[in-house]
Amino acid sequence: MTVQNTALDLDIRGPSPLRKYGVTIGRILLIIALFWIWKFGAEAAGPLYIADPVKVLQRIITDTESGALVRDVYVTLRLSLIGFAIGCAAGILLPFLLRLVPRISNAVEPYILASVGIPKYALIPLFILYFGIDDAPKLWLIGLLVFYPVFIAVFAGIRSVDNRLINMARIVGAGEFTIAREVIWNSLLPFFFAALKISLPRAVSAAVIGEFLVGDEGLGYLIEHSRQNFDTVGVFVGIVVATALVLVLNTVLVWADKRVNGWRPVERHMEL
Amino acid sequence: MTMPLLEVRNLAKRFVGRAGRDQPLWVIQDLSFSVADGEFLTIIGPSGAGKTTLLNMIAQIDVANGGEVKFQSQVSPLNDPKALSPGLSCRIGYVTQEDNLLPWRTTLQNVLFPLEVQGRLDAVAREHVAKLIRAVGLGGFENHYPHELSGGMRKRASLIRTLAYDPPVILMDEPFGALDAQTRTQLQEDLLRLWNLGKKTIVFVTHDIGEAIALGDRTLVLSRAPAKIVGEHLITIPRPRDIRGIMMHPEFAGLYQRIRAEVQ
Repeated sequence: MTVQNTALDLDIRGPSPLRKYGVTIGRILLIIALFWIWKFGAEAAGPLYIADPVKVLQRIITDTESGALVRDVYVTLRLSLIGFAIGCAAGILLPFLLRLVPRISNAVEPYILASVGIPKYALIPLFILYFGIDDAPKLWLIGLLVFYPVFIAVFAGIRSVDNRLINMARIVGAGEFTIAREVIWNSLLPFFFAALKISLPRAVSAAVIGEFLVGDEGLGYLIEHSRQNFDTVGVFVGIVVATALVLVLNTVLVWADKRVNGWRPVERHMEL
Repeated sequence: MTMPLLEVRNLAKRFVGRAGRDQPLWVIQDLSFSVADGEFLTIIGPSGAGKTTLLNMIAQIDVANGGEVKFQSQVSPLNDPKALSPGLSCRIGYVTQEDNLLPWRTTLQNVLFPLEVQGRLDAVAREHVAKLIRAVGLGGFENHYPHELSGGMRKRASLIRTLAYDPPVILMDEPFGALDAQTRTQLQEDLLRLWNLGKKTIVFVTHDIGEAIALGDRTLVLSRAPAKIVGEHLITIPRPRDIRGIMMHPEFAGLYQRIRAEVQ
């Protein structure tokens, strides 16, 4: 009987505050702990190797006020998003075009899959050679890195579409374009969003790496330029801001995913 | 009887064996029957008799390997899947075994889908759809997604999706197969009521003898593969029929016995 009573009590009172906010409190404590580890590490290793977190925060504030950091964020964000858009567009369009010609699709599939193995960063010197030192080589790099996950997801998504739905649509009079847009596109959206969650952080990473090598603006340039001047605080500012940028973009993506795939019975969000 | 609306003559269908290991399997061979305009034809046969394949060929989502299917004196192409015209320009509707609702569309959006792609979505059509939704008891569930509906509700949605765009012929492939007896009877009543309003031509495939008798004007009995017609029965039980009491009708028991003897 005691057991039953306890269960009843819990039902009435609901979860205790500690249970309810336990996770949130834990997260905050963890952040504080990490901050202190960082601070301790900075003191132990010296300011040349690990920048003091307080100084990093101060620098972020002053550089934001002066507008320099805002400019860098804008440059990197713009580059990432344009490259991301190009990679996405190609990664979506190509599988849909290949679908129209199954023979060609079957012929090129192994080659496309094999080309996934090419280390894209190794192509940067070639891109610089071919496309100069403006945005073009960086956009090629970002575009390629985004293209592959999207292409593979959409390609696999198209193959996994329920044929019975396509037949239904044909019977009620839908043309090929309507079938592609309504049945296939909606069926593969979950695959597509999974791919976006991989490729969006990649796009920012690729933009930063591109800026290490080419150009005189952006977060990548800030990091590399600061390193060359032994300004470790500047390096850490670049890293922290780039990370924050990825987190913000990801939040937008998760929000879009929830909106678009909200009809799904179970929400299986892989929040990276 | 006037000229048949739909005519199946010496139809044959072969499934190719796996990579030369198996012999090609003839699921349908030398199958012939015709359907008159406004007729409710039921086709009964054991599972694996090629019933679904037959409907797929009539609806032109699958290709025949011999014989012909003639609809309004238009003959289906043979052996060439690319030449098929699924649904024959919206003149043949098809209520499949699975509901095949689009999971990302709500009930209402699913029912409107055919009208939408046919460019016939206007106020009159919407009004008609709203009536159909109420007629089958889906009122209040217009904005629910398919996964939020029960199996019977999904069947109803799939049924009125086809009725909504008003094709002159409707093929039905065991549409009420996977439902409990109560829901099933309810849906059969709904279907008969809706059919009485429009008097469409219906080809209804089932493996349930009682259902075949209760719904049809005529019943064809198919044999095991390769499917052939082994029996034909006119069902003269007057309409409107009382589905729940149809077993009490004097003709029912005799028909049931005869059909049952043929279904093997």
